[in-house]
Amino acid sequence: MSIIQHHTAASLSDAWRTVNIDILTEDSSVNFDTSTLRPPQPEIAEADVRALASQVRQLLRGGDAEGALRSCLETPVYNGTDAAKEAHLQTIIEVLQSIKASDMTPLLRGIYAAPGGSELLDVLMKYIYKGMASGVPAAAGLKSPAKMTPQSTGFSQIGSRPGVSNEPASAAMSVLLSWHEKLVEVAGLGCIGRTMTDWRRV
Amino acid sequence: MAAPEVHHLFHNPIADHSFSADHATLAVARDSTVELYGKAGNAFKLKDVLKGHDKTVTSVDIAPNSGRIVSCSQDRNALVWEPSPTGYKPTLVLLRISRAATFVRWSPSETKFAVGSGDRVIAVCYFEEENDWWVSKHLKKPIRSTITSVAWHPNSVLLAAGSTDAHARVFSAFVKGVDERPEPGVWGERLPFNTVCGEYMNNSAGWVHSVSFSPSGNALAFAAHDSSITVVYPSGPEQPPRAVLSVPTQLLPFKSLIWKAEDEIIAAGYDCEAFRFQGSEGGWQLVGTVESKGSAGHGEQREESALNMFRQMDLKGKVKDDTQLKTIHQNTIATIRPYEESGGRVTKFSSSGVDGRVVIWTA
Repeated sequence: MSIIQHHTAASLSDAWRTVNIDILTEDSSVNFDTSTLRPPQPEIAEADVRALASQVRQLLRGGDAEGALRSCLETPVYNGTDAAKEAHLQTIIEVLQSIKASDMTPLLRGIYAAPGGSELLDVLMKYIYKGMASGVPAAAGLKSPAKMTPQSTGFSQIGSRPGVSNEPASAAMSVLLSWHEKLVEVAGLGCIGRTMTDWRRV
Repeated sequence: MAAPEVHHLFHNPIADHSFSADHATLAVARDSTVELYGKAGNAFKLKDVLKGHDKTVTSVDIAPNSGRIVSCSQDRNALVWEPSPTGYKPTLVLLRISRAATFVRWSPSETKFAVGSGDRVIAVCYFEEENDWWVSKHLKKPIRSTITSVAWHPNSVLLAAGSTDAHARVFSAFVKGVDERPEPGVWGERLPFNTVCGEYMNNSAGWVHSVSFSPSGNALAFAAHDSSITVVYPSGPEQPPRAVLSVPTQLLPFKSLIWKAEDEIIAAGYDCEAFRFQGSEGGWQLVGTVESKGSAGHGEQREESALNMFRQMDLKGKVKDDTQLKTIHQNTIATIRPYEESGGRVTKFSSSGVDGRVVIWTA
């Protein structure tokens, strides 16, 4: 026997199934700011990101690629303005582009073996995905970053998809892809899983 | 090391499994029923089907001494199955929850059990003699999301729970009149119902799949969706823990974990096999897999004739049949449980998963 005793137009249609009952419940997760459950992250200003970028460039000029990458990854911009986040992404992409393909794996292995290295590589993975999601604006600030909001999946079909017509972007994308491949070899699938589950977004 | 004992029961997922204390009966949660298998020689034969739930059964547990079975389901109910000469008799438990029940475990004292739910509560159930039914008290604060798993402390008062709000918590589930007053320990001294004795999360805060107390009850381990396990050593009531050690791995996340001893944890999950962690308060690390695949793989590899090779290429477009995983479980492992213990160490454990297999391993 159905629990619905009297059929009305409303009970015969299945529109009631789409009612979001969480909104109606006072203390449901929808009506609750989940960020209060987590420890706060320090805010990083855009000026700090710029200062770090120039330090990193100095390290790169000195030939210390690992040091440059490390110092980028040790201060991820979890809490900051969009401009600061974007600037830090640019710094990291610059570092990634300056490292030769043959040096990638030994460098990643070195970072992974060091204490806390797994955490650093997780940060690197987050930036690789962020770089892929934003369609990789040309590095070194030749072009203003393509402004679009990546979908929650991190994959976007709109906007400037890298293609044959977009030479610098497609080069940058191929750099990110080969870093991604090398990174998964070293840090495993767990690294991708952590990037997806982590609430600290870059 | 003895080869693992594999029982392929059926081609359906097993949400949870539980062995009776004498290992003669195996209860598995299959769809909306609980199936009981009896040991016949080396195999398990279907003995009884417990029908009572009308939605997917999410968890089942056999009390080792009384033989009572408790099951819970997405239909928001829990049933206690009392063994009797004419079969198992179900008793409905008043859970008072409005979402699916997700996980159930008997306390070591067997006078209580805890049911985790999607309603952001844990129902701690106990038997009320005067009314002759099972009633529940709710652990509510500060749970913010679905409870994925619960685990009892050896003293039957403290309860650990993992939740999709990324926290592992330790509560007091002290019920007046049912429990003896517990000895003060590292988790707290006075423990009225719903005392939060600890609340932990790890850095990347994946939701928690599984929680477990160490054999002494003085440490807590949990596995989260960020492919890590975290071990917590508390220092005392109202104080920050002495150590919270997180081990991120290169693997897929773990769905279930058990303590083999104070210095060893076994965890299994989406990688379809079990892994061993060793350590102490100074640090934990992944040491390897429980399964030794080298020997098993070689036995199966046969000499292929050229004719057979070309025939395979013609039929399937490839030479090797690679539709089988190299592990014994062919899909995600959902639950692992201690099977046999001696001298405070787990010597054998059992695992079940989405592939319908129950496997007994030498730990």
